[in-house]
Amino acid sequence: MLLYVLRRVLATIPVILGVTIVTFLLMHLTAGSYVPGLDLNPYLRPEDVARLRANLGLDRPLYTQYLEWIWGISHGDFGRSMQNASPVIGLILDRLPNTLELSGTAMLVGIALSIPLGVTAALRRGTRLDDAITFVSVAGFAVPQFWMALILILIFTVSFKAWGLPWLPSSGTVSALGGGDLVDRLIHLVMPASVLSFVYVSIWSRFVRSSMLEVLAQDYVRTARAKGMKESRVVYIHALRNAVVPLVTLVGLELPGLISSGLVVEVVFGWPGIGRLLYERALEFDYTAVMGVTTFATLLVITGNLLADVMYGVLDPRIRKSMKSR
Amino acid sequence: MLVPGPGIDHLNDLLRSNEPQRKAKTHWAESWDRLLERRLGILAGGVILLFSAIALLAPILSQFVTHYDPTQQDLANVFAAPGRSHWLGTDELGRDTLTRLVFGARVSIGVAGLTVAMALTVGTGVGLLAGFSGGWVDDVLMRIVDMLLAIPAIFLFILMSILLRPNPITMAGIIAFVAWGSVSRLVRSEVLSVKDREFVNATRSIGASDLRLVVRHILPNVLPILLVAASLGVGQVILIEAALDYLGLGIQPPVASWGNMLTNSQIYIYHSFWLVIVPGVAIFLTVLAANVFGNAVRDASDPRLR
Repeated sequence: MLLYVLRRVLATIPVILGVTIVTFLLMHLTAGSYVPGLDLNPYLRPEDVARLRANLGLDRPLYTQYLEWIWGISHGDFGRSMQNASPVIGLILDRLPNTLELSGTAMLVGIALSIPLGVTAALRRGTRLDDAITFVSVAGFAVPQFWMALILILIFTVSFKAWGLPWLPSSGTVSALGGGDLVDRLIHLVMPASVLSFVYVSIWSRFVRSSMLEVLAQDYVRTARAKGMKESRVVYIHALRNAVVPLVTLVGLELPGLISSGLVVEVVFGWPGIGRLLYERALEFDYTAVMGVTTFATLLVITGNLLADVMYGVLDPRIRKSMKSR
Repeated sequence: MLVPGPGIDHLNDLLRSNEPQRKAKTHWAESWDRLLERRLGILAGGVILLFSAIALLAPILSQFVTHYDPTQQDLANVFAAPGRSHWLGTDELGRDTLTRLVFGARVSIGVAGLTVAMALTVGTGVGLLAGFSGGWVDDVLMRIVDMLLAIPAIFLFILMSILLRPNPITMAGIIAFVAWGSVSRLVRSEVLSVKDREFVNATRSIGASDLRLVVRHILPNVLPILLVAASLGVGQVILIEAALDYLGLGIQPPVASWGNMLTNSQIYIYHSFWLVIVPGVAIFLTVLAANVFGNAVRDASDPRLR
């Protein structure tokens, strides 16, 4: 068992190195060690520019810079922003709670809606209701998130305001004036979380539906019915429990996406999260910050995958065996 | 095979007469028949064809139907509401929305087609190579795919868009750069599942070369799954491309794309709602049609997958 875990951990090291090298090279190709403002300042002579760049260590060979950077990361230091020299890890930690608040809520809403929708569709298989739920889920795959966000703003902010109804705020996490209490935060969360959860609902409700249909066709369900058990008990206690187990895996697969999946939604709704941080810094060529954020998110994905693999290995000895034979 | 002999001939004739003169249908012909049975799928395919035709004929349509040029400004007539002279209104520079929509179809559908072609070509090549050779080649290739898929895709798209300042072709390259990874995983697992079947061993035993084995015998077994990946991929790529355009990182104005038409519309949402609605509906319908068609193709090519 310990050997298996060790093997998995060791296997991620080349992946981590590869990913950091790719990110590092991409950023250096893009920005070429660009320092914001240096070339625009008329009072700087070329030798001053060279000196400043040397102070930042940008005149050294790429591999030295890379090694130093990766050494810092292994110690939890994700470098400093090129823009204002603030530590990137600080920027990330500032924004992380907002992102987790948004994507976490979206995921919970997704789970809370997709289970009843999927079960209903399965129980009413072939009816209009089933078709309607299917359509919602198909639409969820096809609608651009940023456009759905705009449409919600058009309805619940612009139109509601025009009609004199209570309207929803279209950007930020709290109201600028006198906001910040729980209700205010929740009101700001409604639209972004709805948009983000729509995709989850459309994927997971399909899944719950087919898994429920599968379970309902099994012998033990027939036995339960034959015993004269109440239908609601058969469906909601006996069948549902088994139908939902595979959903756990599916939800788990989405967890690493918590950081990045909301990027577009964060931008539209001015939500100060990790995604918007990356977007803004990328537009401003703050490449050290972009490198740091990307690496941070990637490391979380890799860690998540690693944990999942280890968990599967713990739960299912067959997987451990197959790893050994590889 | 029945052995010829007295009585057996008769039986053979009987068997033959019972069997109407029907040629054995190939997998493709059967799939095609099943596809035609799915009305919704056919309708979706029709929508895709129609939109593609509109994209191809955009210059002709703008000249004879909408009578505007996609970049022609009319500053005296900005934010015109949909009406007789501008069916879908005008934008902040007085440009005709319908004309820009028609030209935007070229970007969306063109980029999607190109991306899927690139991703499938590279992904299939890598998947075949990895699955067929196995060993360290497989290990190295799959670790590369692992790396690629570990970096959040949207982050990679943003980094590369800033690096490349995309036109439609580089845009396709950017998305394909990430998308081939999952295609190669798909192809690899399919190759692994057919690699040790009897027909492969039989073909090898009569002296077929590796190349022939892969191209003539393994690839055809992978094709159905590729077809499905292609038709479902088109929709996904359109969504990604539109989002990047919307973020201002993709195709730049004055070239019209459905995504960049929406970028500015957000500012004018308080008075010109049609600018927000129209391009989104176009994206939604195209992606919906591509997905429905893709699902129909999947069901038709392999009814077990339903």
